[in-house]
Amino acid sequence: MENRKTKNNCKTIRAWLFKLINSRIGLNADWVRNHIAHCPRCRKRLALVGKVELALSVIKSQPHSLDLLMRANAQAIGVLKHSLRNTPKAQKLKAVLPEPKLLEACGKYKHSLANAVACLAVLFLMKIGIFSSMEKFQTQGSRAVKNYYTTHVGQEMADEIFSA
Amino acid sequence: MQNHGRELVTMLWRILGNEQDVCDAYQDTFLNLAHYNRGQKPEHVKAYIFRSANNAAISMLRRRIIERNNLSQVNAAGRKTSVTGELNSVFLRENLRGSIAQLPEHLRNVVTLHDLAEFSYTEVAKILDITPATARVYRCKAIQLLAVWMNKEKE
Repeated sequence: MENRKTKNNCKTIRAWLFKLINSRIGLNADWVRNHIAHCPRCRKRLALVGKVELALSVIKSQPHSLDLLMRANAQAIGVLKHSLRNTPKAQKLKAVLPEPKLLEACGKYKHSLANAVACLAVLFLMKIGIFSSMEKFQTQGSRAVKNYYTTHVGQEMADEIFSA
Repeated sequence: MQNHGRELVTMLWRILGNEQDVCDAYQDTFLNLAHYNRGQKPEHVKAYIFRSANNAAISMLRRRIIERNNLSQVNAAGRKTSVTGELNSVFLRENLRGSIAQLPEHLRNVVTLHDLAEFSYTEVAKILDITPATARVYRCKAIQLLAVWMNKEKE
């Protein structure tokens, strides 16, 4: 039990350290930017790394045909044993098309979903009376302030201030 | 195939960039799995599949590079002209693929799994049986090496 606690502490400390180091010596830190602006060697190195990242993104952006998964499955299933080849699962795999994961598919609806959840939360708060209680707190608060003014500056002055 | 097929095909496609090669590497991967230790299931199926596919794809890529290098002078000249257009995406892609194929295995695995298969460092670490921090260090080293090599090829 204690061992697990120590492990969790270590994890938290490591995460903090990582954040701290990132904030101090990340590429966006001012002193790093200033240095890069005046150092041709660093500029060259960064440009080279940028080129690799660009090449990686070019590779990632190249689409393959939609039926590639189906063809690959059909070819791989084709060399399996006869008994495996004819199972319903294999037949299904031969016709499968790449589908986005549930989270990816729902990604475009996340803003609408967040709005709906916020509305529901407001309705829920209204239902349990949070808003009416807040109103009550507000009137009681203003009454207390009015009392304070009445005792310190007089009734007339307080009426004038709060009627305005 | 059902669980990892999509990710596997994406990774192979990004390593190889040729649909027939992707199908061949995919087939090899599952054949290896079927014949693993007299039909026994490996302890970590996902790790086995991705590492096996990675190895198959890199072997194919290396073969392809050797074949391309053995082609006639005309093709070589054609390649050199593409060097002039630095933003030529085909050249960039092939240059990177060639450089990835030259990387040492431990660095190459991290690059292909993290950058091409888009696994997180934690997942990469699980597949390669290393820590996430080691995976980060390997990736950083690999990118530095790739940067130097890609620049050399350009020169």
